[in-house]
Amino acid sequence: MSSWIELLTENFDALASGFWVTCRLVVGSFLLAAIVGTFVAALRVAPSKWLQRAGGVYVETFRNIPLLVLLFIAYFGLRRAGLPINTWTAGISALGLYTAAYVAEVLRSGVFAVSRGQIEAALSLGFDQRETLRRIVLPQAMRTVISPLGSITIAMIKNSVIVGGAVAINDLLKESRIIASRTFETEAAFFWAAVGYLLLTVAATLAIRRLEHRYAIRR
Amino acid sequence: MQGTTWRWIAILALALGVLVASGCGDDDDEGGGSAATTTAPAQEFAAGTTMARLQEAGEITIGVKYDVPPFGFKNPRSNAIEGFDIDIGKAIAADLGVRPKFIEAISDNRIPFLKDGTADLILSTMTINAERDEEIDFSEPYFIARGRILVKKTNNEINGVDDLAGKEVCTVLGSTYEETLKKQAPRAERRLVDTYSECLELVQNGAVDAESTDDVILTGHIIQDDSLKLVGEPLTTEPYGAGIKDGDKEFKEFVDGSIQKFKDDGRWARTYQKWIGRYTGEDQEPPTMTLQEAIDLSK
Repeated sequence: MSSWIELLTENFDALASGFWVTCRLVVGSFLLAAIVGTFVAALRVAPSKWLQRAGGVYVETFRNIPLLVLLFIAYFGLRRAGLPINTWTAGISALGLYTAAYVAEVLRSGVFAVSRGQIEAALSLGFDQRETLRRIVLPQAMRTVISPLGSITIAMIKNSVIVGGAVAINDLLKESRIIASRTFETEAAFFWAAVGYLLLTVAATLAIRRLEHRYAIRR
Repeated sequence: MQGTTWRWIAILALALGVLVASGCGDDDDEGGGSAATTTAPAQEFAAGTTMARLQEAGEITIGVKYDVPPFGFKNPRSNAIEGFDIDIGKAIAADLGVRPKFIEAISDNRIPFLKDGTADLILSTMTINAERDEEIDFSEPYFIARGRILVKKTNNEINGVDDLAGKEVCTVLGSTYEETLKKQAPRAERRLVDTYSECLELVQNGAVDAESTDDVILTGHIIQDDSLKLVGEPLTTEPYGAGIKDGDKEFKEFVDGSIQKFKDDGRWARTYQKWIGRYTGEDQEPPTMTLQEAIDLSK
């Protein structure tokens, strides 16, 4: 065990830089996924059939292509086609757009979870469309989507290792593999990588807990 | 909405069925090109040695590269694994009188493969150095490569290792070039991938400026794509050795003897001509460097 701590102190800079790269990758992809996901969800519940279909095409495309293939298309494919996309843009857009499809589905199901009867009741009580959405539908939808969004975020943190592997970004896993290949201390190197990922997923879990608590129904 | 519910149930059942079916159909098609000529056991070995164990099993598992022409690569036509390393592996297996089974061992996992017994022998363009020698044992050097730099022919900026400062250079995770580049081109940005074929792709599509590794591997890239070129003086000398589990003295002696025979009876020169000389137009003598010299070189 002492040699494991030694490995951490000796390679702290490398592991910290890998951790930081993973953080940036995850935060960037999360923001992109949240923005695009909300937009696509809005399309899917829009009053026009064509907008709904456009949203559906997005979700089915990005959800049905494996992340690794998306990365190859975003990085190698586009570069071959003459578009000099950089590593970070390719990595964040692939992971973000992939996750956005899942976010959109969760948001849509959240909105649909509020029964039609409530909307009719609100409208008949004199709320207008906007108010109905803001005061009746969204607060209830929010409650149902928090937990699945948390699962998606955690899945995204773990999926970030695929980005590091495919487009040669030195993320946490890659840095620990470099350390493992240099020191041959495979177990210790991967143990610290696991601790790093655990820090991120635990942080995400706690954030989700807080949100769940805030939106919980007080009975 | 209600009318289509049964359809969704049908789709769900179908998806589940597919999942179950694909989970079961896990067939093992590893070890292409294992159909080598098996000669009668050439030698008897004492019980308990690795050689006796392998003869008992009738098979030796050798970790090789699958994407490094001309050393170890999958022939796209026959799907067999071929190359210089493969021919040496077949010779060693023939001396033991067993079938060679080739598995893919990339730079990053070949030493763990030896340690955990996944592979009995590693022949995967592995440079002998002092750090690796602490972890595993090496045979005497069977090939000597030199470290070079590969760029696109259209690149006139990079003419040697000193021009790599501020440029992106690809090499393979777990290879000796990670350290070499750190020392000789500290200001270059290193991009580390798993396989040389990924490096080739990155150079071709312009994501990195250069690739640095052994000349023979880079020559393999140029054979595939003649819009690339080698630049600069050799950075390093890279003696290749076969990897053997740490402390297995008898097996190391056996492998050394087998490789020495391969060098002495002209097979080495023929194999060199078959895989490398044909493309470079040069003949070469088998290496005479000893293992100790190779280890000292890396210090």
